[in-house]
Amino acid sequence: MNPSLAVIFLTLFSGAGFGLMAVVAIVNDFAIDGGLSPLRTAILVALSLLLVTMGMISSTAHLANPKNAWRAFTRWRTSWLAREGVFAVLFYPVAIAYLGWVFFRNTTRGDGALVLANTAAVIGLITIFCQGMIYACLRTIRQWHTPLVPANFYAMGLALGMTMLATSQVLTRGPDLVLISTACALLVAAAVMKAIYYFWIGAPSGTTLQTATGFTRGKVRLLDQGHTFGTFLTHEFSNCIPAARARNFRIAVYVLGFLAPIAILIAGAHGLLRLGVLFAPLLAFIGIGIERYLFFVQAKHVINLYHGRMPGPLPQMHPALRAGAGAADTMINKTRLVPSYEKR
Amino acid sequence: MRLGLVIDLDTCVGCHACATACKEWNTSAMTAPLTDYDPYGKEPSGVWFNRIRHYEIGEYPNNKTINFPMSCMHCENAECVTVCPTGASYKRAEDGIVLVDQDKCMGCNYCSWACPYGARELDRESGTMKKCTLCVDRIYDETLPVEERQPACVLACPAHARLFGDLDDPESTTSRAVRERGGYALMPELNYNPTNHYLPPRTRPAISTSDLPRGSLARKVKEWVNRVIER
Amino acid sequence: MAAVEQHDHTHGTPEIKYSTCYMCACRCGIKVTIEDNKVRFIQGNRNHPINKGVLCAKGSAGIMKQCSPARLRNPLLRKPGTERGAGEFIEISWDQALDMLTERLARIRATDPNKFAFFTGRDQMQALTRLFAEQFGTLNWSAHGGFCSVNMAAAGLYTMGYAFWEFGDPDWDRTKYFMLWGVAEDHNSNPMKIGIEKVKSRGGKFVGINPARTGYQAVADEWVPIRPGTDAMLALSMVHVLLSREIFDWEFLIRYTNAPFLVVQTPGQKGDGLMWRDEAGHPLAWDLKKEAFVNGLDALCHPALFGEYKTPDGRTVKTVMTLLTERYLDPRFAPENAAKICGVPAATIERLALEMAHVAFKETIEIPVEWTDWAGRKHDKFIGRPVSMHAMRGVSAHSNGFQAARAIHFLQILLGTIDCPGGFRAKAPYPRPVPSPGKPARHSAPDTPLDAHPLGFPTAPEDLVIDDEGRPLRIDKAYSWEAPIANHGLMHMVITNAVKGDPYPIDTLLFFMANMAWNSSMNTANIQDMLRAKGPDGEYKIPFLVVVDAFHSETVHFADLVLPDTTYLERYDAISLLDRPISEPDAVCDSIRHPLLTLDRNVRAWQEVMIEIGARLKLPVFTNADGTPKYKGYKDFITYYEREPGIGFLAGYRGADGSKALRGEPNPNQWERYIENQGFFQYHLPKSIRYLRFANKGYLEFAKEAGFLRTAEPIVIELYSEAIQRFRLAGLGLYDGPMPKERVDQERLATYFDPLPDYYEPLEQQRVDKDEYPFFAVNQRPMMMYHSWDSQNAWLRQIIAQNHLYMNRARGEKLGLKDEDWVWVESHNGKIRVQLRLIEGCQEDTVWTWNAIGKQSGTWGLKPGAPEATEGFLMNHLISELLPEKEGERRITNSDPITGQAAWYDLRVKVTRAAPGEEGVWPTFANVPPLPGAAPKPDVLRYNTRIKAS
Repeated sequence: MNPSLAVIFLTLFSGAGFGLMAVVAIVNDFAIDGGLSPLRTAILVALSLLLVTMGMISSTAHLANPKNAWRAFTRWRTSWLAREGVFAVLFYPVAIAYLGWVFFRNTTRGDGALVLANTAAVIGLITIFCQGMIYACLRTIRQWHTPLVPANFYAMGLALGMTMLATSQVLTRGPDLVLISTACALLVAAAVMKAIYYFWIGAPSGTTLQTATGFTRGKVRLLDQGHTFGTFLTHEFSNCIPAARARNFRIAVYVLGFLAPIAILIAGAHGLLRLGVLFAPLLAFIGIGIERYLFFVQAKHVINLYHGRMPGPLPQMHPALRAGAGAADTMINKTRLVPSYEKR
Repeated sequence: MRLGLVIDLDTCVGCHACATACKEWNTSAMTAPLTDYDPYGKEPSGVWFNRIRHYEIGEYPNNKTINFPMSCMHCENAECVTVCPTGASYKRAEDGIVLVDQDKCMGCNYCSWACPYGARELDRESGTMKKCTLCVDRIYDETLPVEERQPACVLACPAHARLFGDLDDPESTTSRAVRERGGYALMPELNYNPTNHYLPPRTRPAISTSDLPRGSLARKVKEWVNRVIER
Repeated sequence: MAAVEQHDHTHGTPEIKYSTCYMCACRCGIKVTIEDNKVRFIQGNRNHPINKGVLCAKGSAGIMKQCSPARLRNPLLRKPGTERGAGEFIEISWDQALDMLTERLARIRATDPNKFAFFTGRDQMQALTRLFAEQFGTLNWSAHGGFCSVNMAAAGLYTMGYAFWEFGDPDWDRTKYFMLWGVAEDHNSNPMKIGIEKVKSRGGKFVGINPARTGYQAVADEWVPIRPGTDAMLALSMVHVLLSREIFDWEFLIRYTNAPFLVVQTPGQKGDGLMWRDEAGHPLAWDLKKEAFVNGLDALCHPALFGEYKTPDGRTVKTVMTLLTERYLDPRFAPENAAKICGVPAATIERLALEMAHVAFKETIEIPVEWTDWAGRKHDKFIGRPVSMHAMRGVSAHSNGFQAARAIHFLQILLGTIDCPGGFRAKAPYPRPVPSPGKPARHSAPDTPLDAHPLGFPTAPEDLVIDDEGRPLRIDKAYSWEAPIANHGLMHMVITNAVKGDPYPIDTLLFFMANMAWNSSMNTANIQDMLRAKGPDGEYKIPFLVVVDAFHSETVHFADLVLPDTTYLERYDAISLLDRPISEPDAVCDSIRHPLLTLDRNVRAWQEVMIEIGARLKLPVFTNADGTPKYKGYKDFITYYEREPGIGFLAGYRGADGSKALRGEPNPNQWERYIENQGFFQYHLPKSIRYLRFANKGYLEFAKEAGFLRTAEPIVIELYSEAIQRFRLAGLGLYDGPMPKERVDQERLATYFDPLPDYYEPLEQQRVDKDEYPFFAVNQRPMMMYHSWDSQNAWLRQIIAQNHLYMNRARGEKLGLKDEDWVWVESHNGKIRVQLRLIEGCQEDTVWTWNAIGKQSGTWGLKPGAPEATEGFLMNHLISELLPEKEGERRITNSDPITGQAAWYDLRVKVTRAAPGEEGVWPTFANVPPLPGAAPKPDVLRYNTRIKAS
């Protein structure tokens, strides 16, 4: 799939924002490590809103006809995308009300705060679920059509949220073992979830060019795709990266997204870093951003079968076009395969 | 009623007539125009509703070339409609045609992700998703002669490899062809239940030659007895 | 900000108009919906005899032809002081252009009319261009058939009076076995697709013989990958199989062919191999009942099909069938030996022959219709042998193509499938006598029209167009010893010969709609140099080059004067029976085009311009006695011109009131009647004259009345070609008449002019090292693109804008080659660098590519950098228009030695991987600058005839 920055940012930032809201609520609910101060709460909720807003604004950049974006809520009965929109919008009044409550009353206590915080958190969590389901409901993309997708989105969103929260504590209040260890645990959980996901998508699919065309008795090879240059379909669906590069990117995901933040947080827990602890969320964002890029670029839409561009258990495609399956990088980078279809 | 197409892979010669006729009709039809990008430049491209791919089955010398047109299958379980957040995509109850309301589409591409058949293409000038309409503006147009109330691709196809009809009606030419020729839908495992079907290449019995005279001698000119035949 | 070309128009009432397509040479009927002078929709005309409502990709894409930025807009003159081919032009008025041209032509006509050479490309108005040349008085006219498919036409016309494509069609409604030889996607388009579907849906078998499995061959029930250029051997091996089992149509051969005629066998003597004739010139046969020699044309004789006899004067004579059988029963034609040449397994050859025999003789069909044969005998039915064939350029474009096509016809004739139900049927005005009457014009004189057509059908060396010394009189050397039966001329030799001044220099060369500076010439780069070549006097060797075209082709770039033509939607055209017919087997047909759109450019239809120039030059046909123009224009000319009383260009709605068909006085409202009748006319033949027309009295008399035939004599199918034998005798020094002086000509005549078709290795291949150049290299025709001038089409070029070299996968892998490798392809003539694809559907010893995708940068309305120029390629660079040099021999055209057909497909090449970093096509050519006033090329095109663009 085309790794559109708009959608990468949408899921990354809004996921982190909703995750942050959720961990703020949980920490305050259970007064973990004494809970968060009203000011810290207000700042973190504001940060959450900022992240969600960044995600939402970025998502509209993905729309080719944004003037109709307001219609995106109408089909909430069937469309996960509409549901995401509805819940994302619902999040705002509740989160803003909570922010106002905390800011003006200067307390995170009280039934109102409790209700608002947890309502915002739940709406955020539902939105993450909807976001995950946008992808998980698509039978056309095997790498997405799995409950692992919303699970991953949760793990990653919460880990990012907790990392931000823990970092804020460490920055201003010094080492905070409970929060740091929670953040580390969530990062580890996210890493494990991602590993399960990567393992799962590595298995071959049963759908091949043979079954897709109905010619199951012999090898089927693409002779010609019927157009010399790219089309919307090749632009939107044919992106892929060579296996070697994907491996490197995955290493980057683990190093930047999980290992480095954990190490930085642990170092922070020992008071070794001061401002440097800010690198924990920063690197986590970069690493998980790369993860999100891989999430798109490694997703293979079945239409690619018809273009002879998807590896399967049988050798069925044009080797030169077999991107991502060990073909030479030079071929992959040819404009022919990933046409410059973007608006000039 | 389930209107759709049946494609005969036995006779499709891969000439792209259907694709071009479609482009021509629809560039001025209900979702007009079908924009072309860089039409005279380095990477000509554009919006098409119907694309023909070409495959080779088997290995030389027992290979066969298959021409494979694909357009919207007007699926019974049209996930493209289910996932559409704006309500722009819809499936008509009366005939099963899947359409996109250009006035509602916000161009999020999500429907195209849900479509396994590559039937939907974004027109990035209008910012809207476009797709095969089954020439809904032809097939019900009473100002056209009855025999022309067919999709442009079907009218054009020189090899008559495209049939148009009601797949719900067991007696329609389309349903009969599917029944008699072993017609199949693409990727049934996805459970989209496409309306369009494909007819596989025919297999032909060998031609018997055992009833012909047996030759033996290579040089028998002189042995042949002339037959008396009036000129 | 990208330039967006919007086509948003106010919504007018749609108008429906009928005309004839011209996106290729197929000439389908089109129904055009027009809104506000813009094309809304082009669809097939359901009532039209050719396409019956369907339309191909090209037809629908006509809409984009009409908005092509490559359309020429004004007459252009090469800017004074600039070099030819620099691409600098100034716009001039039509008056200036025609004054300049008329003055020049008048001077030439008054001195030596042959200094004006007029060659036309793929047009469909050859009858008019020929008339112009005839009236002008130049021998140097021909259309493009010499580089297209003259072998196919000539072989048919010299064998059975009609040929594939325009002259005949498989009986699609009845045939049960269809064999397609070679690439055919160019000729023809929709009728063949319609027909293949009919055969297949009826349960018939479709066999495709082609080195590549693409196009129509994709849907063949059996694909026979054959080595290019070996079709004659395959066909004759099948003939061998049939003969060895005594499977052939005795009655057909005896009644309708020259198989029983007696041939003189006196090797080494004059007269050897000619028909033994009586004093009246009748061919003789041996009558089995009378036991005597009789006139073989006599209806009541019972001729022996086989036999060897002694004439009263002691000469040995054998029947044609005896000679034929002796020849083809030779073991060298046995399937196991043929297999070594064709690459087709022996068992397959035998099986195919027997399958056809089974269908022809065991699945015979009958049509119960009473008919009368040429001798007046009544019959109550037609017997049909439902086997049919089609062949076109794949067979034709070899230097053995004439004989290969004859060999295919032999197979059809032995099976008795000629013009019978289910077989291969003729289309009016064919069949013609064998060979066709009419000899090529030989005499040219100042200010005098020719006394005959420039092209004709030689039957003996006396008919050649050579001077007393044996030197060619035509610039293309057609009808010289180098190409004696060059029925369509040798357009591909004109530039080379004119630049060499061999046989003589010319003054003005006019190309109409022919891309001779690019894909229509062999050896393209050298041809471009030749067009720029100057003599020691600083003058161009071709002093004045006029190009008439509607689009900015590569050849336009080299013109001194460019006359811009209209598109097919903007002009009147007559698709005439006098020209390239569109008849169907059951109906005599012709059609028209008329302006559907108003002109938006300063262009004129070439036929209008020709008639005006004709009148300016006072050519008799175009001028009244008082010197005033005889016709107001093309439309007027077509209405009133009569070739002979009652016969004009259009056969329909003749007579003052339009009530007469085929023959009748001019009808002032003829065009209007055609327009009312959806642009075509068809005359349905009565059922009794639809078959066996060569011997069908009803048809023969009808054809005489319609002006198709001069007499109602039966047409005898010539298995044995006496005309060919006369040339062979001239080569052997045994002819009473002109004989060639040079040894090479003598050898070519003696070797290749075989009165019975035989296989010989293509000429170029005889001279190249097959170990060094292991691959055959041929072209195929992409059906969504051919004819090539439509590559500028904004829609079609999205489908294919780059061509690859295709090679058999296993063979390529053995050579260590991969998909998308850049490879060098090298022939004896040069090399090119192209991109490779390995596929299954390619014969192992063959590489092929799509024809004419490659373009010169900047032409055809394309922007610089268009892939047609940077990644598309022409194989033409590898092909020489001359055979490889041989010591002691003059340079000889790379063409069929009989017909002069360009031998495009005789090429052999080697393929090697390009060095790392060597990418992109080579050679590339300089970018052609835009023409003055050229239309802008939009970055985004939004064609729409509706009011509101979404």
